[in-house]
Amino acid sequence: MRSLKFRQLIAKEWRELLASRAYWLLLLMIGPLVGQAFITAVKLYAEASGSGAGAAALPQALTPLDGVLVPTFGAYDLAATFFLPFVAIRLISAEKQSGALKLMLQLPGSIGAKLAAKGLVLLAGWVVSCVPAFVALALWKSYGGHLHSPETLNLLLGHLLRAMLSIGIAVAAAALAESAASAAIVTLGFTVGTWALDFIAAGRGGLLQQLANYTPTAALRSFEQGLLRLNTIVVILVIVFSTFALAAVWLNTGRTLRHRLLSTLALAAILVVLMFGAVSLRTSWDLTENRRNSFPAADEAALRQIREPLHITVILAPEDPRLTDFEQNVLTKLRRNLSHLEVKYTAGSQTGLFEGSEDHYGEIWYEMRGQKIMDRSTIEQVVLEQIYKLGGINPPAASEEAEFPGYPLAVQPVWAATVFYGVWPVMTILTWWLIRRKVPQPS
Amino acid sequence: MSALLTVEGITKYFNQRRVLDDVSFSVRPGEVLGLIGPNGSGKTTLFECLAGLMPANSGVIKSNTKELPPAKRKEALFYLPDAIFPWAEQTVRWVLDFFRKIYERSEQDASALVEPLRLDELMKARIGSLSKGERKRVLLALGLLTPQPLLMLDEPFDGLDLRQTRDVMTLLKAHASTGRTLMLSIHQLIDAGRVCDRLVLLSAGRVVGEGSISDLQIRTRLPEAGVEEIFLALT
Repeated sequence: MRSLKFRQLIAKEWRELLASRAYWLLLLMIGPLVGQAFITAVKLYAEASGSGAGAAALPQALTPLDGVLVPTFGAYDLAATFFLPFVAIRLISAEKQSGALKLMLQLPGSIGAKLAAKGLVLLAGWVVSCVPAFVALALWKSYGGHLHSPETLNLLLGHLLRAMLSIGIAVAAAALAESAASAAIVTLGFTVGTWALDFIAAGRGGLLQQLANYTPTAALRSFEQGLLRLNTIVVILVIVFSTFALAAVWLNTGRTLRHRLLSTLALAAILVVLMFGAVSLRTSWDLTENRRNSFPAADEAALRQIREPLHITVILAPEDPRLTDFEQNVLTKLRRNLSHLEVKYTAGSQTGLFEGSEDHYGEIWYEMRGQKIMDRSTIEQVVLEQIYKLGGINPPAASEEAEFPGYPLAVQPVWAATVFYGVWPVMTILTWWLIRRKVPQPS
Repeated sequence: MSALLTVEGITKYFNQRRVLDDVSFSVRPGEVLGLIGPNGSGKTTLFECLAGLMPANSGVIKSNTKELPPAKRKEALFYLPDAIFPWAEQTVRWVLDFFRKIYERSEQDASALVEPLRLDELMKARIGSLSKGERKRVLLALGLLTPQPLLMLDEPFDGLDLRQTRDVMTLLKAHASTGRTLMLSIHQLIDAGRVCDRLVLLSAGRVVGEGSISDLQIRTRLPEAGVEEIFLALT
């Protein structure tokens, strides 16, 4: 398809997006949502930094990523779950219901190109809705707040991918369902399903947990922790492309039901293969300033010498806070450094409260080259010592790495309420009115 | 005369109900062909099957003796459905402009349609605010802006008043005289007799007659009969 015609499709979809009340509602709501999150986060950060005559937390614990950015951008997780799908559904369902789809299918260009135009416009619309987040970042800087560019950009990328996932699911649902209402139910059902999967699979290991790593919430979590994982990016992109391909299959009304079902099965098979391939990609980058997802450089160099597979058996229940600590402080880092790591979760109960002592509850077993060691500690250095022992490696000398200073900041969110609760909604309504005014309303 | 399009044995079922039954006919280049039949005779279904928007259970469509698969149909023909409400929030001017640009037609091509279809006073209006007749005129303009050799119009006079019907008939005949082939589905038999060069008569999903009015008069042995009498005689 020639680029001129694709540009026409883009222009058409952009006009359709601007004609959508759902999109203007998203824009109207996102300002106050971001504002509420930002104002609360800045105030809490100030309290933790020692404002109001209270005791300050350890400065090293005060990172703008956790304290301000993640809560502020949390508004976009809500918007991607509850607003964006309706905007995407409208762009497909309105054409199905009005009969415009019959014209669109006959226009030059493939159905894939037409869906790509819709996808790109929806993504552009999402970027526009990110303006309040950029305003929040600017305000934070104006207060004297610190931003570490790699972790900020990583978080933005995470939310962009999260939005793409929402758009993809909604577009596929709109293509499959008879009406916009059915598509909305399918999309929300999918979201609730991923929440359930995320909850059920936590700390259980195996295929279920592998799958749960790529739910929108879990995928976003790794970006929120400052980790850029190649497999997460690839899996999300594969899912997004698959949902658009599925939409293309089901919007092509000229194909028989049998053909569409077979295409769907083929697509599912390709998706599974690609996802399994992508899951094996272990490359990741710790983009945090405090290197929270990494061991000290000397330890990482020592771990890279280990070539043998390491098996870890964890006898801790999914709800046990020790397992959460172990996952976040040790396993995440080990997975980034050991190419052959297998973790088994073997606790029998949900809470750990009713595990019998004979079940060895709380034990963590490390096995390499037929040798086994048991320890109960979830502390990083203790675990590393056990692994060095099994691997026959001398522990590296403690290095003199520069300590993360932390960025305490006790300021009040000046002007934020005016900007997010006043200026943004007024600007949104004014822009909507100006755009609508160009087109005469029906009498 | 060789056929622009040959339809052979199109059959379509909705569940167990056969709505098209072994439909075969041909479309000649440059003619205005009328697909006529009462409501529910399968005209719209046939159009959608021909346009590749709905799968047929069997049958083939050929263009100049070569089979035309559904994916290639949009290169050979354009189908303008009846009773659609596309892009309700957009203005008439914008929708016409979108079609003009995407088919790389000149501004003159578009403005030539404005007067005969009386669109000038509608240009700033939103599609969603138009009456049925106004919307039909806008949709006809979209169809006439498309460049495919065959244009299929579903009920092109539906919703138009007497004067508008006459004007649109004149416009369609003028359009066909430029060499484009038109296929019109019409349930008003008198209208069909006035505008079409040849007719395909469809009844309960079956072709019961094909030819010019004089051909059909000979076939039915009703030399003075109009389209209505011919149709009644054949069904």
